[in-house]
Amino acid sequence: MKINQQTVSWLQVAPLTLVLLVFFGIPMVLVAVVSFFDYGRLQIIPAFIFDNYLELFQSNLTLRLYATAIKYTAIVWAITLVIGFTVAYFLVFHVRSLTVKIGLFLICTVPFWTSNIIRMISWIPFLGLHGVFNSGLIGLGIIHQPLFFLLFSDFAVIVAYVHLNTLFMIVPIFNSMARIDPGVIEAAYDAGASRWRVITEVVLPLSKTGIALGSIFIITLVMGDFFVVKIMSGGQSATVVSALSTEIASLQYPPAAASAVVLVLVVALMVSAILRLVDVRRELTG
Amino acid sequence: MNRNRSRGGQITRRRLLKGAATGAGLAVGSGMVKGFPTVWAQNIKDVKLVQVGGSYSAIIDIGRAASKDLGFQVEMQNADHDALINRVVNEPKTVDIADVEFFSQYYFVGRNILQPIPMSKYKWWDKTVPIFTKGEYPDGRKVSAEGTLPFKVQYLESRDAKTFAKAPTDLLSGIPTVYNADTLGIRPDLIKRPIERWSELLNPEFKGKTAIVAVPSIGIMDAAMAIESRGDVKYGDKGNMTKAEIDKTIGILIDAKKAGQFRAFWSTFDESVNLMASGEVVLQSMWSPAVTAVRSRSIDCYYVPLKEGYRGWGSCVAPMAHLSGLKLDAAIEYLNWYNSGWQGGFIAKQGYYSSVPETAKPFLTANEWDYWYEGKPATEDIKDPYGHLMEKAGRTRDGGSFWQRMGNIACWNTIMDEDRYMVKRWNEFVSA
Amino acid sequence: MHDTADGGRPWTFYALAAFFALFVLFLYGPMIVIYVLSFQGPNGGLTFPLNGVSLHWFDALIKQERTGDIAGAFQRSIGLAALVTVLTVLFSVMAGLAFRRRFAGAGLVFYMAIASLIMPGLFVSLGIGLVFQMLDLSTTWYGSALGAQLTWTLPYGLLIMFAVLGRFNRAYEEAASDLGATNWQRLQHVTLPIVLPGIIGVALFGFTLSYDEFPRTVLTSGSSNTLPLEIWAMTTDVTSPALFAVGTVTTVISFIVIGLALTSIALIERRRVRRAVSVGKSATVS
Repeated sequence: MKINQQTVSWLQVAPLTLVLLVFFGIPMVLVAVVSFFDYGRLQIIPAFIFDNYLELFQSNLTLRLYATAIKYTAIVWAITLVIGFTVAYFLVFHVRSLTVKIGLFLICTVPFWTSNIIRMISWIPFLGLHGVFNSGLIGLGIIHQPLFFLLFSDFAVIVAYVHLNTLFMIVPIFNSMARIDPGVIEAAYDAGASRWRVITEVVLPLSKTGIALGSIFIITLVMGDFFVVKIMSGGQSATVVSALSTEIASLQYPPAAASAVVLVLVVALMVSAILRLVDVRRELTG
Repeated sequence: MNRNRSRGGQITRRRLLKGAATGAGLAVGSGMVKGFPTVWAQNIKDVKLVQVGGSYSAIIDIGRAASKDLGFQVEMQNADHDALINRVVNEPKTVDIADVEFFSQYYFVGRNILQPIPMSKYKWWDKTVPIFTKGEYPDGRKVSAEGTLPFKVQYLESRDAKTFAKAPTDLLSGIPTVYNADTLGIRPDLIKRPIERWSELLNPEFKGKTAIVAVPSIGIMDAAMAIESRGDVKYGDKGNMTKAEIDKTIGILIDAKKAGQFRAFWSTFDESVNLMASGEVVLQSMWSPAVTAVRSRSIDCYYVPLKEGYRGWGSCVAPMAHLSGLKLDAAIEYLNWYNSGWQGGFIAKQGYYSSVPETAKPFLTANEWDYWYEGKPATEDIKDPYGHLMEKAGRTRDGGSFWQRMGNIACWNTIMDEDRYMVKRWNEFVSA
Repeated sequence: MHDTADGGRPWTFYALAAFFALFVLFLYGPMIVIYVLSFQGPNGGLTFPLNGVSLHWFDALIKQERTGDIAGAFQRSIGLAALVTVLTVLFSVMAGLAFRRRFAGAGLVFYMAIASLIMPGLFVSLGIGLVFQMLDLSTTWYGSALGAQLTWTLPYGLLIMFAVLGRFNRAYEEAASDLGATNWQRLQHVTLPIVLPGIIGVALFGFTLSYDEFPRTVLTSGSSNTLPLEIWAMTTDVTSPALFAVGTVTTVISFIVIGLALTSIALIERRRVRRAVSVGKSATVS
C-alpha cells in the first residue's frame, strides 16, 4: 500500500501551514486592510485611501529611516558573518569530540537565555563614561578622557546587535558545515591545496546554504528591531520599526500599518535576492 | 443581601434618572460604608480583579494589601506606557481596572471601554483635592489648563457621552489617584550654581550633558517649557500646539541635537536614573522616584523648582465597561479602598501625592507627613517604601510643600490635537 | 583531518581557538557585569560603584516585593518556551521532511514562512489581539501568545531544517530500505539520528526565541505577563538590581541544564556507537 508521496508531504507540512495561516496570515491581511484606513486624532476610520502610502513615499523621513536601518543591517551582517563563519569553522573542523563540540556550542548560547533586555541594560555600566571599559582604559593610561562614542551612539547599537544576534549566524553555518563530507576535504588536501584554498574553494561554497540562511536571519532581525536601537542609541537614532512603534503607542494604526507593509516588501526583496544567489530549496530536493 | 437602600435625596434621584443606566450596580448602597469589607456576599472571595497600569503605580504591594483588607483578590499587572493604551483598547477583557493617566481618557471616551463611576458610590469626593474636583486651588485661582488638566476630562454627562462635561456632573470618568509636579533633575555637585529656569536645558554650557525623555508627548512639552523660557517662542497652549508652533519647536530641537546638546533621550526609568547617577548627564527631564533612586545611592540629586513652573500629571483608575454584577460591586469597593489611606501613605514615600491627602495622613508618621506634604525639614531620616534610607534628617523636600509645588503647574501631560503631525515630526527629530 | 603528520594541531587551531575564546569573552562581558552587580547592596543601583555587597536582591526576587511578579512571569516564560520548543521541533521537522519532495504549494508555504519572519512582531501581536477581540476570545499566554510566538519560531525551525537536510546523502536511507526497513524504521533509525544536531539546533532556537520574545507577546499575553514583558514594564518605571539577580539566576540554571544535556548526549553517543555501524555513521564526527 503506497500512499501518494504528495499527500505525505501535505500531511507533514500541514501543522506548520495551519499555524502560520491562522496566526500570521490573518493578522497580515488585517494589517494590509488597515493600511488603507483613514485616521483622526483618536480613532481610525475604515476607508480605502492611499494617503498613508503617499505620505510614506513623499516623506524625507522614510528615506532616512530606511537608510539607517540598512546601514545597521549591512554592518552587522558583515561582522556576524566573519565571526559566525570563523566560530563555526573552529567548532566543526578543529574540535574533535562531539561532546566538547556541543558543549562549547551551548556555552555560546547560555547568554541568550538571559533576557535581551537585561543584557542590553548591562551595556550601560560597561560602556558608559564612568563604566568598566572607560575606567579600565583610563586606568591603563591609554586614554585620558572617557570615550564619548562608546555609548548612545551607532557604535553602541552595532555592538549590541552583534552581541545579541551572532548566534543566529553561527547555528545555520555550523549545520551546513557539519554536513560537508570529510572525504571531500581530504581529497582537496591530498590534491595539494593549501589550507586557505580549501576554505575558500571547498568549505565556503559548500556552506553557502548556511550562510544564506544566517544572512536571512540577521537581516530580518536587524531590520525588524526597535528596542535595541532606541536604547543603545540613547534615543538618538530611529529606524523604521522604532518609528512605527511610536505610532502604535499613540494608536495611530493606519500609517504604522502602511509602514509595516512597505517594510515587509523591502525586506522580502532583500531576502529573495539572497535566495536567488543560493537556491536553498533546490539543495533539499536534490 | 438586601440592596434596596434608599437614595440620598431628590436631587440625586433626578440626576440618576438623567444619567444612563448602569444596571444592577446602581442598587448598591451609597455612602454607608463604614469599614471594609462592606460588600460581602458568599462568593466575594472568588472575585479576582486585575489592575493594569504602569509599574510606578500598579505596585504588587498595593494589590496584596487590598486583597487582605477586602477579602477578594486584587492582582496587579504592569504594562509599559506604549502598550498600556493598546491593551485597554484592544484587549479589554483582560483588564478589570484600568490605571491610566488622565489624558488617556480621550482615547476611551464614548467607546464603551471604561465605565464612569457615579459620584454617589465614591466616598471620598468631598475630601478630594480641589485641583481635581473643581480645577481650582483652595483660594479660588484656576489651575493652569495648558495641556490636559484632569478637571477637563473628569466629568461625564452620561455613560455613552462622546465628550466630557464642561462642568461638574455626577459621573466621574475615573477616580484620581496619584499625581505629581515634574521638573528637571540636576546634579548640584557637578553644576555648582543655582538653576532657576527651564531654559537651562538648552544652555550650551551643558552641551552633551543633558537629556530629555523620549516619549514624544512629554518630551515635547519639556522642550516647549525650555524654549518658552528662553524666549524663542510664545505658545498659546504648550499642551496643544499649532502646526506652526510644532515646526518651530522641532526646528530648535534639531538644531540643538546637531550641536550636540543632548547626551541621550531616555525611554526607561532606569536609563534616567543611570544617566544621572553615573554623571553622564547633569541636567535632564526626570521623574520624582528617579530622583529618589539616585539619592538613595548617596549621590546628590536635586529636583529643582523652576521659575516658570512645573509640568503636572495625574493618574486615575476606572472600572472597565465589561464589569457588572458582583465583580462591579467589588471594583467599586476596591476603588473606595484605594483612596482610604493605605495606598496614599505607601505612594507618598515614593514622592507622589494622594488625591485624598486627609486619608493618607494617618498612614504616615508626623515626620513623614511634614516632609512629603508640608515641606518642612525632616526631623528623622526619611525611608522609601521598602525601608531604605532616602533622605537624611534635616533636609526638606525639593520644591517645598504640596501647595508650593502643585500650586505652580504650568502645563499638564496630554495628547495634543495635532498629535499625528507632532509624532511624525518628533520621529524626524530623533533621526536627525 | 588536516592535522600535522604527528597528529598534533596545526597553528590555525590555536589561532582559531584564541578567536573563539575572545568571542566567548565578548559574549560574557556584559554578563559578568550583571553577575557582579546582582550582588549589589540594598542601596545600590544598576551602575558601578557597588554600594555594599549583599544577597539582598536575590532575596527580593524570591519575596516578590516591588520587583513585580518575577517568579510568576518566569514560570510562565519557561512553560511557554517549553511548549513552543516542542511544537516547533515537531512541526518544523515534519515540514522539513515534506520539502524533500516537490509538492504543490511548496512555494507558497515557503514564502509565507519567510514573510512571517519579516513582519514586525508588533503587528503580529496587534493583529492577533484584534482578531481575538473580534471573535470575543480571551488572549492568554498559553493561547494567543503561543500562536504569536510560533509564527516567529516556525520559520526559523523550517529554515534550519533546510540547512540540515540540504545535500543529505540518501545513500544511507537507500541502504536501510534495501535492508528491509519500513519507512517509519528508516525515519527513526537513519534519518533522524543523522539530523539530530540540526534538531537540537531547532530546539535551541525555539527555546531561546520564545523565552526572550517581546514584540509578539506584548499584546497577546492577556492578563499575565511573560518574563520579558514584566522586565520591560519594570524598567520603564522602576529601577532595581533585582533584574540582574534574574540574569544571574537564569545563567546558573542554564549551566545546570547544559551540564545535564551534555551528560545525556555523551551517554546517547556511547549507546549509538555501541549499537550498530551498519545503520550509518554520524557524519558530524570527524
